Amino acid sequence: MLTLQVNGAAHQVDVPDDMPLLWVLRDVLGLPGTKFGCGIGECGACTVHVDGKAVRACSLPASLVGDRPVTTIEGLAEDEVATEVTKAWLDIDVVQCGYCQPGQIMAAIALLKSNLHPSDDEIDQAMSGNICRCGTYRRIRAAIRNVAGAV
Amino acid sequence: MSRPSIMRLGRRAAGMAVLAGMVLTCVAARAQDADLARRGAYLEQAADCEVCHTKPGGIPFAGGRAFDLPGIGTIYAPNITPDRETGIGRYTDAQFDAAVRRGVAPGWRHLYPVMPYASYARMTEGDVRAIRAYLMTLRPVHAPAPANQVRFPYNIRFAMIGWNLLYRPSGPLADDPGRSAAWNRGRYLVDAAGHCGECHSPRNMLQALSVTKSYAGAPIDGWLAYNISSDVDSGIGAWSDPQLAAYLSTGHADGRGTAVGPMAEVVSHSLRYLTPEDIAAMVTYLRSLPARRSEETVGVVSPETLAQAGPNHSNGGRLFAGACAGCHLTDGHGRQVDFAALWGARSLGEIDGRNLVRTMVEGVTLQSAHGAMIMPAFGPEYRNQDLADIANYAIGHFGNRVGHVTAEDVAAARAGVPPS
Repeated sequence: MLTLQVNGAAHQVDVPDDMPLLWVLRDVLGLPGTKFGCGIGECGACTVHVDGKAVRACSLPASLVGDRPVTTIEGLAEDEVATEVTKAWLDIDVVQCGYCQPGQIMAAIALLKSNLHPSDDEIDQAMSGNICRCGTYRRIRAAIRNVAGAV
Repeated sequence: MSRPSIMRLGRRAAGMAVLAGMVLTCVAARAQDADLARRGAYLEQAADCEVCHTKPGGIPFAGGRAFDLPGIGTIYAPNITPDRETGIGRYTDAQFDAAVRRGVAPGWRHLYPVMPYASYARMTEGDVRAIRAYLMTLRPVHAPAPANQVRFPYNIRFAMIGWNLLYRPSGPLADDPGRSAAWNRGRYLVDAAGHCGECHSPRNMLQALSVTKSYAGAPIDGWLAYNISSDVDSGIGAWSDPQLAAYLSTGHADGRGTAVGPMAEVVSHSLRYLTPEDIAAMVTYLRSLPARRSEETVGVVSPETLAQAGPNHSNGGRLFAGACAGCHLTDGHGRQVDFAALWGARSLGEIDGRNLVRTMVEGVTLQSAHGAMIMPAFGPEYRNQDLADIANYAIGHFGNRVGHVTAEDVAAARAGVPPS
């Protein structure tokens, strides 16, 4: 039995130690906002925050999370930076098909929380592990830049 | 009650006592067998029989793994399940002991030293008997090993008699009373059961382990088994005790990277099962190995320094950002697990990138207490020059060295990956 701190609440879950955090979130806790993409940490669709850092939930065994707080895209409704990011995303219609976007948004929020005014190089470096089949990269970068200007 | 009936009763009681005694002896013997097999299970892990006696994707202990010995030929590990036809089912204790500790299988078939009997020769007879007891509890699998393909003159098995006279120790080393119990136990685990020197010591022209360069590192199967002598620059002299213990027992130590290739196999199947006391004993002994200098030195760049480096716009830097940084952050930390932390990894300070390229081409699977830690293979999707560029960028960034990896090196690494 593991105890996970997810979106501010403690959850007891009875799962195998090596179950990836992604399946605990989606299938056990019923939080489907985090997406499954490649399953090997290469695409970024499953990005969540653990202790404020962007991690890939698909390849993080739940037993390695410990008591570090986990935040999924569902847990950011009240968050100031997240609100600005959402607005910036809507302002320039970043999203095309949208499948990768929860991961993109979580990566962008993690970046902006540690560095509110990132350079283009810093944006590229932080976002490089999140891929987008529709090629929305330029709009993602522009939206992140706009948040930096807005906050 | 008449006297005869008392005698009858007495006889019956005596008979029952004998019977009970026999049953008890039987139960005790079975318990002893079970104890022996249990001890053998642990010793099998310490001696790591499974890795070599299992082909990739095959049934554990059923053999078939190929060993390519350059200039000599290909030798296949035999089946060591209790199958009577193709395994060790018919071996007696003495025959098993002769194979493991003297390199002579039944019928005077001399084994090749790819079977590390020159190291196992230093194990005790009791420990080898326990290993056989454990192996005999496995499910028998009918699996004949493919025939060895060995070139002349190496195919003359009797030639091994001479080799054995020169290089095979005659038996276990006596404990050194001048050293601690931990050191003596560590020596047994490292030199005898663990046979660490079989990969980590260079070999002489006759394929025997070098004594003068013991544990100074050696190439093996296209990988480089690193120098694990106590040399500060090229060995493990600069590692802390906790780093060594963590690396041995989990395959990862902060500031030293993660085991890949054959060492990941050793951790997965052997070292991670050893008790903390045995790991500590190994650390004690490894610390005492004489320092041997070798060419490869360790280049450690701290995460603080790594974090200062700006983006790199070379082809290698850009590809790393896209393909690698998703798990291996450029500041040397792992994104989600410590196993992915590259800070201080030996393979990134090695300018010809031998282990690094091989790892990129074939990936890694390291078993841990939290399930398998997997790095996928990047060989199929990338061109040789791209992988060479990534390697040279990573060696420069994490190892502060100028990498010399070429597209030809990548092609050679691809050729070395065994078919799965």
